[in-house]
Formats: sequence, structure tokens, C-alpha cells
Amino acid sequence: MPDVLIADDSEFMRNLLREILEEDHQIVGEVENGVEAVEVFKEETPDLVMMDIVMPIRDGIEATDEIKSNNPDANVIMCTSVGQEEKMKEAVKAGADGYITKPFQKPSVIEAIEDVVPS
Amino acid sequence: MNVDIQSLGTFNQLAHEGAEEATRSMAQMTGIDAVVDVTKITLLNRDDVGEELTGREFVGVQFALDGVLEGDTVLVFDADSAGAIADALVPGDSADEAMARSGVKEIGNIMMSGFIDGWADYVGATIDHSPPEYIEKSGADVLPDAPTDADHQQVFVFKSQIEWIGESVNFYIYMLPEYEPLAELMMEQADTEDDAIPIDKLQTFNEMTTKGTQQAADNVEMMTGIPTDAEVTQISFAPITDVPKQVGTETYVGTVVEFTGTPSGYLMVLFDEASAVTVAEAMMPIEMEGDELTDQHTAAIEELGNIMTSGFVDGWANVLQTSVEHTPPRVVHDMGRAIVDPLAAQVGQHQEHAFIIESEMKTDDIEFESEILALPNEKELREALEALDVERANETQADVEQIFE
Repeated sequence: MPDVLIADDSEFMRNLLREILEEDHQIVGEVENGVEAVEVFKEETPDLVMMDIVMPIRDGIEATDEIKSNNPDANVIMCTSVGQEEKMKEAVKAGADGYITKPFQKPSVIEAIEDVVPS
Repeated sequence: MNVDIQSLGTFNQLAHEGAEEATRSMAQMTGIDAVVDVTKITLLNRDDVGEELTGREFVGVQFALDGVLEGDTVLVFDADSAGAIADALVPGDSADEAMARSGVKEIGNIMMSGFIDGWADYVGATIDHSPPEYIEKSGADVLPDAPTDADHQQVFVFKSQIEWIGESVNFYIYMLPEYEPLAELMMEQADTEDDAIPIDKLQTFNEMTTKGTQQAADNVEMMTGIPTDAEVTQISFAPITDVPKQVGTETYVGTVVEFTGTPSGYLMVLFDEASAVTVAEAMMPIEMEGDELTDQHTAAIEELGNIMTSGFVDGWANVLQTSVEHTPPRVVHDMGRAIVDPLAAQVGQHQEHAFIIESEMKTDDIEFESEILALPNEKELREALEALDVERANETQADVEQIFE
């Protein structure tokens, strides 16, 4: 069962992702900003990070950049409402492995995870 | 074809002063104490003109304009108020329908002459108007048909709202000028190229915003299961002081974000309280007791506002090939004008007038309405329009799979 870290400033969205994932994944942490995401990643080294982009204190692209710089094998899927091409290119540059735009439904989340972390 | 910010401001001021002159005329004739509440110039789709009048009955007068400004103008008020106004016009004779109509026509004639004369004086030319035609119709039908122009699906509408102090009665002045004479007049009055706005690109931007609103409506539908349609999208131009009046005095729940990039500004997603509860509960996996707004409702609205905001602005960024960042959403729950006031004050630090991008979405089956309001920085909106490649106007969606190949 893959370990997953959820990074999203929205409690509503963290709950939604947890409900989608907890059946087949181990949720090792839920954080509200990019700083916490980097810290918890160091502690838990999860198999996958579901990373929002727009978060307070530090955004998800900066956090992804740091995580991937220190852990090139880390798997990060951007899970965001932002559907801008330039932002997607920034995410690729930071090392993101996948990109899901909100609102999403369970099958698209599972499919994106399967692409990045095949079961 | 360009129009500069200064002439848009001048034209707005002309419409406002014209409405004030009309109000003074009415006060002299009737003793009705009224003030001009708001005046704005709006660019919108021809089919959407007068959407805000839906479901109400109106009476008033209509005039055709001819000369340097061509088109039609009307002065209307709620039919329910007709008795009170007729009493003020013709005390003792208001029950006489013919007399009341005649009174309305005459006061309309005098008020609107004041409104039109100010324009003619400013441009130094004649604007003739037809004799007043008494009208009595429902909703947008009370307005004259928007001018038809094969080249332009969108039209400029000048709107003023006059409030009868102490009474819940409003008068509305609408002027619907023909596109070409108005555009020529605006160009003639433009006295600087520094702050020019290309009108055609403003229309394209409005079309992009319509797509953004539909995307936001689709996102609502996907998250809630409530079939939601984009209703009206328009760009208005008004003095900063009038910006808070674009929103009603009722209580709203929603989100506010500051966006940065080209353009920067503020964006609000607002629901009336009943709609906020409806839409939040549709997002929740469990049924809530009572109809009060709880923290769980608020958390749902916060995320919905975030997703609607992205749906709305992403199209701008993709077409302009730039990025528009926005802050995490801040939840607001207050009287509409109290929400908008501090944002207008922020924008007003750099400009006297503001473009207001307004969108509405609603559904027929469930009590649900939402408004999106954007207040972009005027200078940056102008830069965005300059950079806008009209050929790319349909490129509002990014291809995730291609980028992550």
C-alpha cells in the first residue's frame, strides 16, 4: 500500500482526497502549506505527494522543487485548481510527475496515481 | 479602433451629470427628492441587455436619438411605483389614467431633454430626439432593441440608476447608442494615445471572460451535481466611488483573492446566503441539519471559490501566454457593499475609474445564484489588451497531457 502525503491548504479538499485514497493508500500526513510539505516529506519519505499549488507561506511549486532537488526519485503529483499552461510548465520544471486539475473525480485521481506509481 | 480611458471617464461623467440634471428637473416638477445612485458604461452581448430587469413590470418613456449620437434612450420605473409617481406628478388626478400617462410622458420629456442636452453641449453638436413614447412592458422588453450591427455582437450601454430617497422606488435611464457613431465620437474625444484601449480587443477579452465563466459554471456542476449555466458576462466602466454599488446591500458569502500578473487586481466569488448553503451541502458527503451556515459549509465554499477563481482566470493566462497568480481564497460573509468597499479602495489608490468584470451564473431547478466580480488594475488591463493576440482567443484551455508527455 503506497504511502501518500497530502499538501493542500483547504480542509475540504484534504478530506476529499483522504476519502478517495485511504482505501488503497496509507495517508502519512496532511499539511497546509509548502513548508510543512517539505518538512513532513523529510520525516516520512512517502511514495507519493499530492501537492496543491496555491498555498500560503510557500506554494506547491517551490515545495516540489525542493523535494525533487533533494530526492530526485520522489513522486509528486500537482493537484490544483490552476489550469494555466505557464504554471504547468513551471510544475514540469520543478520536477512534478503528474498534474490533476480540480475539480476531479475519483477515477481521474486513481488513473494519475497509477501513471506515476504503478501498483 | 481605440478609445482612451480619459474619454470613457468623460462619457461616464456626461451620463452621470445628465442623470443628475434629469433628477433636478423631476424634483422641480414633483418635489420628489432623489439622487443618482450609480452610472456606468457597460459592454455586453446584445442578447443580455436588460437581463437585470427580468421578472419586473415597468412603465416609462422612450426616445429615438439622431445626430452625432444615434440610437435610443429610455427612462423607466417599476410599474408598482406608478401610482406614487403619478400622485407626485398630478396630485388629485392620478386615478385618471390618461392624465397620469400624459404626466409621465411630460416629466420623461423634460428629464431626458436635460440628459441629452448635456451630451450635445459637450460635443458641440446637435442631438435630436423624437417625441416621448409611453411604454409599459415587462423585464428587458421595456428597453428598445439593442442596435444591430453585423460586425459587433456586443454593444455599449449607458445605465444610470436614480433612487427616490425614503421610498423603495428607483428610476433607470438606459441609453443604447449605435456602435459606429458612438465609436467615432469616442475617438474624436480621445486626446491622448497613452491610455488608449482597443475596443475590438476589449470585446475579445469579454468573450474570453464568457468562456471563463462557463468554465467556472462547469466546475460548480462537477463539484455539486447542480446543472449550472453562465448567464451574463459584461465589462463595465464606472468611477471608483460607484464600484461598491455594483453589488447589492444583501448579505453574501464567498471568497476574495488578489491576483497578480497581467493584469493584477481582485476577484470575488459571491453567493447569497441561501445559495451558499445549497451549494455547500451539495458538495458534502453527509446531510446537514438546519439551514445555518456552519464551518463545514464555509470550508466547502472556500474550496469552491478557489476552483471557480481558477476556472475564471486561467483562460486569460493561457490566451495571453502568461501566468496569473492568485492568493489563497479569503472567505467573506458580509453585506455586499462592505465586501467590495475595501477592494475598491485598494484599486482606487492608483486610478479614478475602474473596469468591473461581472459574471452571473444560475440554475433553474434549485435556488442557486452566484456572481463573479473582478476588479483589474486599469493600467495592467490595458497592457494585457495590447498584448492580446485576437487569433489566440480560443486557446483558453491548456493541454496537460501534452505538457507532461
